[in-house]
Amino acid sequence: MILTLAWRNIGRNRRRTFLTVSAMVVSSSLLILSLSLFSGMFSDMLASATEQYYGHVVVTADGYQQEREMFINFAPEDDFLNTLDQAPQTLGVSPRLRAFGLFSHADNSYPAELLGVDPQREEQVTTLGRMLSGGHYLLPGEFAGVVLGAVLADKLGVNPGDELVFVTQAADGSIGNALLTVSGVFRTGATGQDNTLALVSLPWLQKVMALPGRVHEIAITVTAPLEAPLLAREMAAQLPPGLEVHEWSTLLPEMREVLASYAVSRLIMALILYSAAGLGVLNTFFMAVMERTREFGILMAMGLRPMQVRLLVMTETLAMGLLSLLIGLITGGLLTLYMSRVGIDLSGYLTPITYAGGTILPRLRAEFAFDNFWIPSLCLLLICLLAGLLPANRAARLEPVRAIREE
Amino acid sequence: MCISTKIVISVAVLILFPSIVLGIDWQQLIREVEEQYNGHSSHSTMQMKVRTAHWQRRLTMEAWSLERDHFLVRIVAPAKEQGVATLKVDKEVWNYLPNVDRVIKVPPSLMGGAWMGSHITNNDLVKAAHIDEDYVFQLQEENAEIWRIEGIPKAAAAVVWGRIIYTVRKADRVPLLVEYFDEEYELVRTITFADIQTVGNRTIPLKMIVQPIDKPEEQTVLHYENIAFDLPLTASFFSLRELKKR
Repeated sequence: MILTLAWRNIGRNRRRTFLTVSAMVVSSSLLILSLSLFSGMFSDMLASATEQYYGHVVVTADGYQQEREMFINFAPEDDFLNTLDQAPQTLGVSPRLRAFGLFSHADNSYPAELLGVDPQREEQVTTLGRMLSGGHYLLPGEFAGVVLGAVLADKLGVNPGDELVFVTQAADGSIGNALLTVSGVFRTGATGQDNTLALVSLPWLQKVMALPGRVHEIAITVTAPLEAPLLAREMAAQLPPGLEVHEWSTLLPEMREVLASYAVSRLIMALILYSAAGLGVLNTFFMAVMERTREFGILMAMGLRPMQVRLLVMTETLAMGLLSLLIGLITGGLLTLYMSRVGIDLSGYLTPITYAGGTILPRLRAEFAFDNFWIPSLCLLLICLLAGLLPANRAARLEPVRAIREE
Repeated sequence: MCISTKIVISVAVLILFPSIVLGIDWQQLIREVEEQYNGHSSHSTMQMKVRTAHWQRRLTMEAWSLERDHFLVRIVAPAKEQGVATLKVDKEVWNYLPNVDRVIKVPPSLMGGAWMGSHITNNDLVKAAHIDEDYVFQLQEENAEIWRIEGIPKAAAAVVWGRIIYTVRKADRVPLLVEYFDEEYELVRTITFADIQTVGNRTIPLKMIVQPIDKPEEQTVLHYENIAFDLPLTASFFSLRELKKR
């Protein structure tokens, strides 16, 4: 009976209902959209540091992450690589040798950071191969090719097909030097990568560095980057001796801080946006209860108990809340879908910002995340209930006789 | 004070601290020390032994120089690195890599980098030659045998070291030790000279030991096996073409 009553009451003053519902729909869908944009920005940042460089989880020889010393390397066992490959959480596993040195072309020489990789494995770890602005990605078996950052390529004055000299100090103390042919150029928008990073084939770099069979790290991408810390702890227990495991939140502690502060600011944003909407709802219901004082009086005179009156008003609020939520979720979802597929390019107005080890790209792009839907939903319902509570109490406390007489 | 006392004091001062009285030009002295291997021109062969925690290597090199602005050095042995060469003209440095048959100009960002894998940097090749222009030298202390001469960078000079102290033997003005300090006056590196010999009309140390202070297990020793001075070399010899000869 109460449900029917509530439903009729909602339908009775359509304009009022429409205004209240639309306030909640607009605030919830915009909140969902802005949280999804936040998520998109954060995942861009995380991706620039992990999917364009570190990977989510990194296995190295003991001490390499602290020392970054060329001699702290290891020879990866095939068995170990297979185990990593077959783990259900891993998307990609790429053994890498790192080297620093000088790239030189004609009269230009610039320092570069090289990653010696197996191109096929690396493609599953970093997305650099999908960000080419020219040329092609390293081909399997291509020995002396290089894919380098666009800014570095510009400074050197090289295009795909050109030759480059790499000079470094090899592990035996000799001056390692060899020729490379530019296969491709990538542009990530992240200054760190575009300015200095280059991918070369692992066997080539092992030869130049006089480190046959050795690597500095195994970079791994996982299905759920945010669960990498947990996974890393599990892996640590099963590592061969002499190796250690790191994940992005220990490699990039600033990024972890950003994530933590994001979780808090998400709640704060939800509260701010909704408290405005909540005041609107509160106002509407108060007016509705005042208008219907007589009606409540009659209902109570007919034997409706105060608790039932309270329940009636609360049900109306909740029903409107649920309705708004439904429409809000759909609208928010559609807006997010649009912004995740199309987005807005801001590169005409902004340049990439590197912050906390990651790069924020000049674009608005949304990303779907479950949190961004259920947190706003829950908050919306809570606010609705709170906003309904006061008018409901007022209605419940009415004295039937005086209420009926009221004009 | 009678005249004879004055003379006695003067003679004593002259004997004990000849530098004060003679008014030695320290800038000039340090310049001479830094140019001890150059002369007007020079040609030498040397052994360089580099030792680090992870490897050791020994290179045989042949070098030519003209005044202090031209310098060419080429690795003769081992075979793997034969032909690798460095040319310095004024303040620029080029390396030649025979493997890839390329000449590479060392960019400013790598001037602090190791030269030929040793504890000598590219900057040492370039800046050492101009040390008397970038630093102000003063006598810090002396005894009967040696001077200790302290160099402090001039305000406007772009330098690597915050302070340099040369220990120079008085008798023949041969350097014994050079200590290099950073901006905090912390000792960073020493170069010790040994095996002092007379070559032609010059007395020079044939051995030079570069010791980084923070890595006591590492060392670079440069030993001149042959050195000849004042040869008929011209500036045109120090060319990129010559650099690429094997």
